[in-house]
Amino acid sequence: MSAALRITNLVKRFGGLVATDNLSFDVEDGQSVGLIGPNGAGKTTVFAQIMGEHRQTSGSIELYGREISSDSTPERIRRGVSRTYQVPRPFTDMNVLENIRVGLMPNNIWQMITAKPRYQQETEIALSVGFTETDLQKTPGELAMGDLRKLEMARTIATGTKVMLLDEVFAGLTVAEIAQITVLIQQMRQDGMTFLIVSHDLKALEPLVDKVIAINYGSKIAEGSFNEVLNDEAVRSSYLGAA
Amino acid sequence: MNLRLTHFLMWLAFIALMFAIPEFVSKGTLRTLIFANFLAIFAISWDVLSGRTGYISFGHPFLIGIGAYTSAILTKRFDVPIELAIPAAVAMTMVGGVVVFLPALRIKGSYFALVTLAFMELMYQLVQVIRPDLTGGTRGMSGVQTLTRGAVNGYYLSVSLMLAVALSMWLLMRTQLGTALSAVGMNEESVRGSGLSVTKLKLFAFLTSAFVAGLGGAFYVHYLGSIAPRALFDINFLFTIIVAALIGGASTIIGPVIGAFFLTFLLEYLRPYLPGAERYFIYGMIALLLYMYEPKGLIAIFSKGWQRLRGGAGSEQSSAS
Ligand SMILES: Nc1ncnc2c1ncn2[C@@H]1O[C@H](COP(=O)(O)OP(=O)(O)OP(=O)(O)O)[C@@H](O)[C@H]1O
Ligand SMILES: [Mg+2]
Repeated sequence: MSAALRITNLVKRFGGLVATDNLSFDVEDGQSVGLIGPNGAGKTTVFAQIMGEHRQTSGSIELYGREISSDSTPERIRRGVSRTYQVPRPFTDMNVLENIRVGLMPNNIWQMITAKPRYQQETEIALSVGFTETDLQKTPGELAMGDLRKLEMARTIATGTKVMLLDEVFAGLTVAEIAQITVLIQQMRQDGMTFLIVSHDLKALEPLVDKVIAINYGSKIAEGSFNEVLNDEAVRSSYLGAA
Repeated sequence: MNLRLTHFLMWLAFIALMFAIPEFVSKGTLRTLIFANFLAIFAISWDVLSGRTGYISFGHPFLIGIGAYTSAILTKRFDVPIELAIPAAVAMTMVGGVVVFLPALRIKGSYFALVTLAFMELMYQLVQVIRPDLTGGTRGMSGVQTLTRGAVNGYYLSVSLMLAVALSMWLLMRTQLGTALSAVGMNEESVRGSGLSVTKLKLFAFLTSAFVAGLGGAFYVHYLGSIAPRALFDINFLFTIIVAALIGGASTIIGPVIGAFFLTFLLEYLRPYLPGAERYFIYGMIALLLYMYEPKGLIAIFSKGWQRLRGGAGSEQSSAS
């Protein structure tokens, strides 16, 4: 049985800077994996390469046993991987439902013209990430940071993804909102979703992950259970060094 | 009365009014209205591309020119029947649309606008040097076959074409496709991140815009019966199209139509006072002020006024009862 996501010897150079340094790891189907590391460790850059926003310098990225490195971003999304952004990127002049609508659309001009929006599904997704009925018609400008993160998640869910990459979904959220997103992720895990989660909020991350991978300067410094990795000497000093 | 029915009746009344207009106005005014109808078509064409996707085209006269020249040359020089020449002209314009699309794969913003402006200039130069026996060179062409005789028929033709274009674009933009095209204008990365091919959407917008521009250009030349390259590939003409879409209200269909009529009549009424190019300066100022006051355009001003009116009427009723 091949992994849902397999990263092998991934390298990304930005000029002289090595942002990803010979990184390899697997995320099994249905597994939830935490990706941690200090600021600038290269977590977001890994996401960008998985999605094809940055082309890796070398190494391979496989999704369900199939190499996706030559696919475009929309193609990768259709194969079942999708991400959220640390800095939310909503469609600014669209309300919550319309933002989700774009994610739900088929990538086919003719179907875009003929098919009606799936209002019910849009609403379900919006409510599942914790929006209230009154939020549905609001535009991103009227939403607080926590709500923008929820919208980011909702847009990703809408693509019908099987492997979700979450980049700092808890940043700027209230305790109640974190609890709500936690419940949502747990629910989705039970339904079989695979996760790769980047979070600085380790307390929020702990209950959500089966294993954790720690990176620093783009290379893996530890991998194992949450407690193993957090107690690792190299991980501790990397966080101290960055602070 | 429910809102939908009110809307429907308002549209019906508007269309009826448009068709009744020749009964009430002079031939001169009618000719102005004909120009307004064509300008509205060009502004819709511009808006479908630039208003939606944010790729600001300065090259629309290039597209309109392809439509106009193709149909004029085919009918006049090769005796192709007009009902074949117009579809051929539209097809040629769509090829032109692909040409304008190519730079949009790589560049955005003002660079894209400049490149499209270069297309317009290039076309102006080309029609003068390449095969002037076909294009008529600098002097252009006259004696092109016309579809109608007289202002009244010209008006009916132009208003029908404008309404048909407006209605079909309105229906098209109401679908999920319209939402997707607007999304491209807001954030291309997020469109890609939603699993949609931005390239495909952009290409569709360029082709649709070119289709409308070609249709408008071909019909316009068969209304005028002539082409003057100096007037067609002209920066004032270009800006009139863009300003019509912007001050009317970009990304709506009715906006560019309102903008086109507003501008045409503004220019017309300024004519006695300012016969020269100063007129464009004044209208530029007025357009700028309007745009600063309400960036969403005349359509937003009207709908706010309408709401106030309805609000006012509503409170009167409630106080009376
Ligand atoms: N497009 C780019 N061009 C050049 N350098 C880049 C680029 N993107 C990221 N980097 C560099 O790569 C390194 C890793 O950045 P990345 O954003 O992946 O880190 P991160 O682990 O997500 O950090 P944070 O926790 O702050 O989000 C940093 O040194 C960053 O400056
Ligand atoms: Mg990051």
